[in-house]
Amino acid sequence: MEKKLSEMKYEEEGTVTDIEETLRKKVAGMGIRVGKKLRMVTKQPIKGPVVVVVDEANTSLGLDVAERIILEIKS
Amino acid sequence: MKVLLMGHPNVGKSVFFNRLTGANVTESNYPGTTVDFTKGYMKIGDEDAELIDVPGTFSLDPKDKAEEVAVAMLHENKDAKVICVIDASKIERGVYLALEILEQGYPMVIALNMWDAAVDKNIRIDINNLQRILGIPVVPTVAISGEGIKELTTRLKEAKPVEIDDIIRNAGGLT
Repeated sequence: MEKKLSEMKYEEEGTVTDIEETLRKKVAGMGIRVGKKLRMVTKQPIKGPVVVVVDEANTSLGLDVAERIILEIKS
Repeated sequence: MKVLLMGHPNVGKSVFFNRLTGANVTESNYPGTTVDFTKGYMKIGDEDAELIDVPGTFSLDPKDKAEEVAVAMLHENKDAKVICVIDASKIERGVYLALEILEQGYPMVIALNMWDAAVDKNIRIDINNLQRILGIPVVPTVAISGEGIKELTTRLKEAKPVEIDDIIRNAGGLT
């Protein structure tokens, strides 16, 4: 099942399948690219950032960014 | 010789800076911005070198003032060598920045800092293979205890510009 990163539930894991073209360079510097496994650990309230674990390291992404990253969710 | 200390925010650049320069530190304000950088002096062998602590940046594609300063400083010091400080437990992002700097032709050594924390996290990095692929010295360090600092300074003379195409080839091509 595919989901936007912003729609992931706590502790849900997935593999990145698509990133909006204009965003690719920006998130590559954060270790996020197509094929990477992510785990969502925290979502901050009031449209706050989404925190994911990638390669054992935490990264926080703005909600607007998280909405433009698509993952295949591990069932 | 000029040496730029570059890397992500919070990877220990300033700890390196203090270790490498000792107490001989001067603070300066970069013109036109509110962001400070620090400058000091160190000895590399018999040679005096100026070491510049560049503000942390995630990429060379600046997103805020501090990153703009970092990129500007890199471009204003075309003849400088770069010590790229990478958090060993976040190696992919670190290498991403290192590659961006290498792409611009700067000679570089990589410090894989917080090596102890990476070991604790069970992260294993094949240093020899990484050196082979990148073609530059890669030194594991723990800046706060001083581990690896000496090797880093002695190997600075091995820093040389590399071609990105060579790195791609050494890595076995693009996937």
